[in-house]
Amino acid sequence: MAGTEKVSQLSSCNDARAMIVRAREEGIETVWDRLAAQEPQCGYCALGVSCRNCSMGPCRVDPFGEGPQKGVCGADADIIVARNLGRTIAAGAAAHSDHGRDILEVFGELAEGTTSGYELRDTTKLKALAEEWGIEVDGRDSQEIALELADAMMEDYGSRKSRLGFSDRLPEQRQELWEKLGITPRGIDRENVEMLHRTHMGVDNDYVNTLLHGLRTSLSDGWGGSMVATELSDVMFGTPKPNISKVNLGALRAECVNIALHGHNPLLSDVIMQAAEDPELVALAKEKGAEGINLVGLCCTGNELQMRKGIPMAGNHLMQELVILTGALDAMVVDYQCIMPAVTDVAKCFHTEVISTADKAKFTGATHISFDPHRGYEIARQIVRTGIEAYANRNPDRVRIPEGTVEMMAGFSVEAILGALGGTPEPLVEAIKAGKIRGAVGVVGCNNPKVQQDLGHVTLTKRLIENDILVLVTGCSAVANGKAGLMMPAAADMAGPGLKEVCEALGIPPVLHMGSCVDNTRILTLAAALARYLGTDIDKLPLAGAAPEWYSEKAVSIGAYVVASGIYTVLGVQPAIFGSPNVVNLLAAGLDDVVGAKFAVEADPEKAALLIRRHIEAKREGLGLPFVETGEIETAAA
Amino acid sequence: MKTVFVNPERCIGCRQCEFACAVEHALSRDAAAAVFESPPPRSRIHVMPGRAYNTSFPNRCRHCNPAPCQQVCPTAAITRDTEHDLVLSDAHRCIACAMCAMVCPFDAITFHEKANGMPARVVALKCDGCIERTTAGRLPACVEACKTGGLVYGELNELIAEGRAQEASVVLTSAAAGESLSARPPENVTGWRTWGATATELNEGVHHGRH
Repeated sequence: MAGTEKVSQLSSCNDARAMIVRAREEGIETVWDRLAAQEPQCGYCALGVSCRNCSMGPCRVDPFGEGPQKGVCGADADIIVARNLGRTIAAGAAAHSDHGRDILEVFGELAEGTTSGYELRDTTKLKALAEEWGIEVDGRDSQEIALELADAMMEDYGSRKSRLGFSDRLPEQRQELWEKLGITPRGIDRENVEMLHRTHMGVDNDYVNTLLHGLRTSLSDGWGGSMVATELSDVMFGTPKPNISKVNLGALRAECVNIALHGHNPLLSDVIMQAAEDPELVALAKEKGAEGINLVGLCCTGNELQMRKGIPMAGNHLMQELVILTGALDAMVVDYQCIMPAVTDVAKCFHTEVISTADKAKFTGATHISFDPHRGYEIARQIVRTGIEAYANRNPDRVRIPEGTVEMMAGFSVEAILGALGGTPEPLVEAIKAGKIRGAVGVVGCNNPKVQQDLGHVTLTKRLIENDILVLVTGCSAVANGKAGLMMPAAADMAGPGLKEVCEALGIPPVLHMGSCVDNTRILTLAAALARYLGTDIDKLPLAGAAPEWYSEKAVSIGAYVVASGIYTVLGVQPAIFGSPNVVNLLAAGLDDVVGAKFAVEADPEKAALLIRRHIEAKREGLGLPFVETGEIETAAA
Repeated sequence: MKTVFVNPERCIGCRQCEFACAVEHALSRDAAAAVFESPPPRSRIHVMPGRAYNTSFPNRCRHCNPAPCQQVCPTAAITRDTEHDLVLSDAHRCIACAMCAMVCPFDAITFHEKANGMPARVVALKCDGCIERTTAGRLPACVEACKTGGLVYGELNELIAEGRAQEASVVLTSAAAGESLSARPPENVTGWRTWGATATELNEGVHHGRH
């Protein structure tokens, strides 16, 4: 029961704990208080057996088996759970893919030459993408290529195609499997719309059929919308390269105007970075008594900036209220996704200006400055100016910034990883074959106040690297592991001997920051490239995924596309499916025979590490590589 | 003696009993209209979270006999309806001194504004056993709302005997099959509760020896 227990049980981070204590002292409500007020949470909903899709309902099924077992329409627990899960996937996929569309539209307008504050920063990547999409590059200028690429990608959002442009990245075996199963995504928006259709009363009443379409829907995100977002962001804002920056609330500077960039979409934040260096605005900040303008990142907008520009990171999902509690944040600029409506309430207790920027994401209590790419730089200047003006209202007596920052390395795009390996996956493959690296695991996903903040991410990551498993991180997990000191080259000391040797030879950390949550597509791209290099399918590789502290619908879509791509995935938080043992059995067992991968749910990261290690050794055995008998893998002497 | 009996292991925390109780005690007795009433109608049953996630208990007046609340009430606002064996509180006589709440073994009495056709004032609110419903042959509102068998209405000894019979059957079956008693709830509910217990222990540092 959050709220009544010790602060140390809520977060494993000292900076967070200090601010939670302050919130309690000053009577400021935070996410943990609201969770406590919600408890007990509805068991029907948690088990996934409530349905309010029509007005013959709402209905619920008694999980104890004696009360009602069917909704008014006749839907049983299997159908209701599948409907709910299907809609959850569609919402998550829609969020990612709509983010991708926003990037794509600005990319298209940039190609037309009508934007302000944008340029094609990575034309090498632009040409590589164009060639991948079958667009002529020879003798054409970048804008011309970009215009045609934008058109081709926009077609992927519609229903005129039968497969997505990025499908060819996949091994042929996987493409054939999806064809056979009928889950090849056809259009990015189409699959989401079809899922809403199927889950309307009286359409798809076969839970297996609904869930298969759930996989197709998620694939339209992973190999569609999210991939568009990642790849075009690289073209417009630069493909990330390894860089060192810092993390935690200590990234705020008492002597500066502090502006946090929060949300997911880098479109606006990149231009704000330019505006923060505008001499006129820097002079204005100094005139108001500040030494300069300090930008910090939050959540995935922060990850996007840290990956490409080394902007310091204030924190992950559960830090968004706490960063305001420092009393030193002058403006929080938000775009969309994962921004709690509560931030404007916390901001009311301080001088902080919350500035919303997306017309599709407005917040009561925020100042709305509508983002328009045609006037990008002008708007960015207006936003920074608003932050500087708020700084003038800051009460220095209320500033309490937890001291200290931790250094972390970011910027591991697929291009950067291959670059570090000398341009080919061969050294990585050889290290895996020799057993120096047992395999690789994506530890990704959010924070959830039901799990002690960052405990799941950090414990799991530590156990994996100790056992020579390379860890790839994105999203909130990247911030958590950065704060835990696992993302500098020196952290190789915390890795097992084989992984340590490889990290030291390459000068890289054992935990690689691959970006924001849409950038999980970088992990997909890397996994597919490894499989193709080895002439096999992704599900044969010693890989796994984990989301120890996930909370969002987007995370459900990610989990589904990772599994459908052939990668075993362990969830730390229960999805709302347990009301249907049939659905649980399908996802946790049956799927293995369908797509070569399945889900597991394990709250304890120590046990999750064991599940993953056993899985990786089993995959090594399958490839004929040296392996450890799974029975010999026991709990680490923690 | 007929009563509302609680099967705590059946409570899944949906709080629909709370909602139904509040509506039953609204002037309108209609969910859509009740939310606009002032003062707002209040539930007399409270679903409280357990220590672990995914556990909860619906707490309501047990209609004790003798009732400590009745014994200490200085204005005799709390009385026993001997016909239905219910402890009832008369808002007109209540002086909101809260003595009843202080001695209640279950902390089941709360204080909120009530109108009663007069200017609203804070009085003791407690379960009235849905006396109007039961005399009309209907189930108490909380019991009617509960679809999992967490709240059931009937003769006390019969309900206890029913549980006893189930336990005996499980004990004998388990003894014969060599299975543990914990296998009793359905698999889906067990999985849900196990996750809650594990996550709670993890947060509390039980697995890590930290406190």
